[in-house]
Amino acid sequence: MEKPCKEKVCLPVPDPSPPVSLDDFEAVLHPAFTAGLKGDAAAYRRFLDLIGGRLRGFLRGHLARAGLASAEEAEDVLQETLLALHLSRHTYDPAVPVSAWAHAIARYKLIDHLRRSGRHRGHLPIEDEALSQPAPGSAASDAKLDVERALAALPERTRTLIDRVKLQGGSLAEAAQATGMTENAAKVALHRGLKAMAKVLSRRGTRTP
Amino acid sequence: MKTDDLVTLLASDTGPVEMAGFARATGLTALAGLAACSAAVLVMVGPRLDLAAAAMTLPVLAKFALGGSVAGLALIAFQRSLRPGRAAAGALTLVLLPVAAVLAWAVAVLATQPMPAWPALMLGQSWSACLVLVPLYALLPLAGLFVLARRGAPVRPRLTGIAAGVGAAGLATLAYALHCPEDAVPFLATWYPLAMAVAGGLGALAGPRLLRW
Repeated sequence: MEKPCKEKVCLPVPDPSPPVSLDDFEAVLHPAFTAGLKGDAAAYRRFLDLIGGRLRGFLRGHLARAGLASAEEAEDVLQETLLALHLSRHTYDPAVPVSAWAHAIARYKLIDHLRRSGRHRGHLPIEDEALSQPAPGSAASDAKLDVERALAALPERTRTLIDRVKLQGGSLAEAAQATGMTENAAKVALHRGLKAMAKVLSRRGTRTP
Repeated sequence: MKTDDLVTLLASDTGPVEMAGFARATGLTALAGLAACSAAVLVMVGPRLDLAAAAMTLPVLAKFALGGSVAGLALIAFQRSLRPGRAAAGALTLVLLPVAAVLAWAVAVLATQPMPAWPALMLGQSWSACLVLVPLYALLPLAGLFVLARRGAPVRPRLTGIAAGVGAAGLATLAYALHCPEDAVPFLATWYPLAMAVAGGLGALAGPRLLRW
């Protein structure tokens, strides 16, 4: 695996420097994910940043091959995938690499997206190596409005809470205080809100497969 | 919303994660499904009249072995298919082994019989009942397995559906063997696998529709 764009930032996390081979990637990803499962928020954030950067390249590559070079569309699928990863953490099997687990989910969401928009022809090849492709120019781009629309379907109180969490840079305690909720209530509301958003996203534009 | 904001949001939702125990849950669902199937068989069509005497004979034991092994293998594939990144298709393919074994046995039995006797050995008295009732009873465990599957993350919903359907038919076979009065191996080797295929087909149709997430 050659090292592309050493100067440019391939992944949004500068530290540790972006690993390239799938084994090296797994070596960084796995501890971040497992620490995240145990409640280490910083490690979990690192996991999401790492996998997000990697999946962005994967999704853009596949969408481009399907004739859809829109970076916005890739960002939409990426966001839906990240939400799905988050809500499916309990399905992770320690016998599998974290990257393989994440890749399988991203692939499912990509196929679902293509099918929903009526552009899925046949099968996506199952490429276990797909994630080892370094992301081509993987700086984040703007998403279209999918997640925004899902957000709009939430109760207003939850929406306010979510805005606050974003504003406070992720401090649930401060966001709870600002919205007049107890921290526990905010925790529950946030989790339920994310679940509801995922549901809205997976139902949008439903077609029979 | 920017992806970075979404990540912030996800990272702040750090409640404890209760890891799923799909193997155990699948086992419990299968047991409950088997109990429901057996109750349905006993109430609706009743046990075969000579059950006490026949229960330990080779044909009845063969039905139990076929149903049990197919259910076991298909349900292993089923519970694996709920975890992204785990291969499940291989375990499902193994279901063909017990089926191939009874087919080979049936061929061996037919080979010892004159050809005019074959239709009677294969059709028995109740082939249509087997073909209809086994998939019908299979709906009971199948429903439970689909409810369970929605707690997982089936990235190949059709595969999950087929495994659930075939596994449920294996359980229904165990239950229907309490009633089924047919003891000819060619009968067993024809209609039970066909009934399992019907249930698998139902699962294949239902999976992609009901297991979207």
